[in-house]
Amino acid sequence: MTRGGLPKRQRLIGLWLLLSGISLLGGAIFAAWLDAKLAPTGVTRIALWLGSFSGGATIFLVGLVLERMLFTPLRHLQVQLARLVATPDARDEHPPEGWLKGLGPDLRRVRESWREDRNRLATAHADGARSAARIRQELETLLQVLETPLLLCDHHRRLMLFNQAAEDFFAGNTGLGLGKRLEALLPVASLQQVLSQLPHDGSPRELLAPCDNRWLKVILRRVPGSDGETLLTFSDATASWSSEMGVRAELAAMLTPLRQHTASLTSAADALIQLRDQNDASTSALRQRFERVIHEEGITLGDNVAKIGQLLDDMQHQGERLTPMWSNDFWQALDERLDPEHRLITPVGMPAWFKGDAPALIALFDSLVKHLNTHLPDNGFEGEICLGNKRVYLDLIWRGKAIPEHELAEWRQQPLTSLPLTPSVADVMRQHASDIWSLADEDGVHSRLRLPLPAMERVGAPRETAPPRPEFHDFGIADLPPPDEALASRTLRSLEIVAFDTETTGLELRRGDTVISLGACRVVNARLLASEVFDQKVDPQRPIPPASTAIHGITDADVLGAPPLDIVLTRFRDYVGEAVLLAHNAAFDLLAISHKGVAFDIPIIDTLLISRALDEALDGHDLDSLAQRYDLAFPPGTRHTALGDARVTAELWLALLPRLEARGVDTLEQLLALQANAFDRQDASA
Amino acid sequence: MAKVLVVDDEPNIVLSLEFLMEQAGFEVVTAEDGEQALASVNESQPDLLLLDISLPGISGFDVLERLRSEAATAQLPIIMLTAHGRDVEREKGMALGADDYITKPFSTQSLVEKVKALLSEEQP
Repeated sequence: MTRGGLPKRQRLIGLWLLLSGISLLGGAIFAAWLDAKLAPTGVTRIALWLGSFSGGATIFLVGLVLERMLFTPLRHLQVQLARLVATPDARDEHPPEGWLKGLGPDLRRVRESWREDRNRLATAHADGARSAARIRQELETLLQVLETPLLLCDHHRRLMLFNQAAEDFFAGNTGLGLGKRLEALLPVASLQQVLSQLPHDGSPRELLAPCDNRWLKVILRRVPGSDGETLLTFSDATASWSSEMGVRAELAAMLTPLRQHTASLTSAADALIQLRDQNDASTSALRQRFERVIHEEGITLGDNVAKIGQLLDDMQHQGERLTPMWSNDFWQALDERLDPEHRLITPVGMPAWFKGDAPALIALFDSLVKHLNTHLPDNGFEGEICLGNKRVYLDLIWRGKAIPEHELAEWRQQPLTSLPLTPSVADVMRQHASDIWSLADEDGVHSRLRLPLPAMERVGAPRETAPPRPEFHDFGIADLPPPDEALASRTLRSLEIVAFDTETTGLELRRGDTVISLGACRVVNARLLASEVFDQKVDPQRPIPPASTAIHGITDADVLGAPPLDIVLTRFRDYVGEAVLLAHNAAFDLLAISHKGVAFDIPIIDTLLISRALDEALDGHDLDSLAQRYDLAFPPGTRHTALGDARVTAELWLALLPRLEARGVDTLEQLLALQANAFDRQDASA
Repeated sequence: MAKVLVVDDEPNIVLSLEFLMEQAGFEVVTAEDGEQALASVNESQPDLLLLDISLPGISGFDVLERLRSEAATAQLPIIMLTAHGRDVEREKGMALGADDYITKPFSTQSLVEKVKALLSEEQP
């Protein structure tokens, strides 16, 4: 397929020097023999010696001329052609020289023609795509502002599209990603069943599915007129479901005993009324019994009523509008609402999670702070979270006196006009099954307003909000071959590829060196997805040698608290899904991630072997040389970072792809054969 | 004889509490709302208050706060009564300075015991 072309430079030079040397040595021996035999003198002797050396000298001189005038220009031409195939805009560092100089105009013509053709194609493509782009932009805007989590999958259940709301909704679930199977995101048998039975007219079907300790309500629709594509929208039904099955069910179950106890109580009271005029000895014992019944039933009723009160509080806390909130986010949102220009509230103490209706609480505190500001102009506030039993206390602290209860009572009646239906402050408190009070601090200087709210079991700060996604859809996924088709016959362009790289404590992986950073990115439809990345530091559970830190800049402090390798590899395996792996010098990285607990029994593409196979005669197949050869840029500071190197490896793959196709290497099977060949040759020459 | 001021706007409860407290050997004064309660504290100088939270006009919490802010009544034993029975009200009452808290419906026996215990703490 790709054998042939120039032999390796060192081999040619070696052969040339060897031939020249043998000829010169042979000439010298021959001249010495003749000199001894014939004993010539003068000019004859000089001619004899010169004649004997002429063969070797000719071979040396011809070789020198060929190297300068033919082989060096040919090698430069090879590099130039490789660049040209990757991109017609590549630098023209070595115009044809030597005996190939005459090809200069032809090569320029080829380059210009290709550039013109490419530009013409690009213009046509841009014209055709402009209207589609406008529609896509409108769609993207719509999807990004849509608060409903939404996914679109093709008829093979591969994700073609998802919006920001879906990314937030499934935060931390590695099954979400373009090209990934829906089963990886939601491994629920009933979902597969509903998908296979969806009506073709687009009418919806509903499903309640468990996922990550939540109950998700999923609405599925087949997109009418499509090739079996399905639209899925999600909502968290945990609160309503648990309320339905939990508190409401318990409340309903309490009705029967309440009726029974009430019946006993009223019957006993009626009996006592009828016994009031009968004072004989026989009725005295009876009266005492009925009195005891009333006493016991009263106590039982009291217990039941207390239990109902508790259940109603629980139900309030499970309300759908009460969502988890991180206290620092809450104070910040409140501050921005109060005065976008100035900071009024300083969060103090440890931040924590709590449950609340954020817009209602912000409106409530907004009203309160404005109320306080009339008494305490230009006063700053501190916001503190205090932890209690099953509760957290949202405390607003200021320098000054506590607010008297009668003022709070007036303030409770204030309408919160910024909220729908204009509830009062008291309504919002009732919604949270809470109340508010004000206390002077023990320091005699500060006072605080305290609002208890349901606590959350969650710990740790919220993860940072993902930046807007550059790619959140790829409709080309629907044109990919079915996932169950043998990988071997898949075209290289249609492969889902995960390019990865590792940074390690050293190069002696078999002697205890191990991974400290693992980075990866995804290539789908021959397109590098900018944000679908995996970037994780690893705790190597051993010190990082300074020599190693000098290369990648990662110190012991950087990996402090990072998960160990087995956990990172499990996450990485989830991230890889059904993709094919790609690495530069894959043997090293594969050894680095080989771990008895996590299997990577999937094909791996190695850009080092491919480059060697394509350009055997050229030197320099390391990532730096190849990045320079193909004009691939490392963004500043990303060289020798796992993610940075993984990205450049992916870009290198995309540059090599047209060259592979030009040589008839179209399928994974053919590529793996080419790699194996290059590996064998490398092995043989080693 | 110790004097107990019962403050509640529900006449049936006042009737029962008055009877029970008298049975337990206390002198009883009653009030229907917060204003009356504050006036009665000044006039009759009770040794303990049974104070309902939900009163017309000035709320029980308000009465509690005002009594605690006066030096003369800052230490007056006060038991809060409520029909809401929510934990948060109990917490608020205790935070504002109540000595104890009882949810309606309550066991009369335990109420009498709490009153006796608080009074014995005050007058050893």
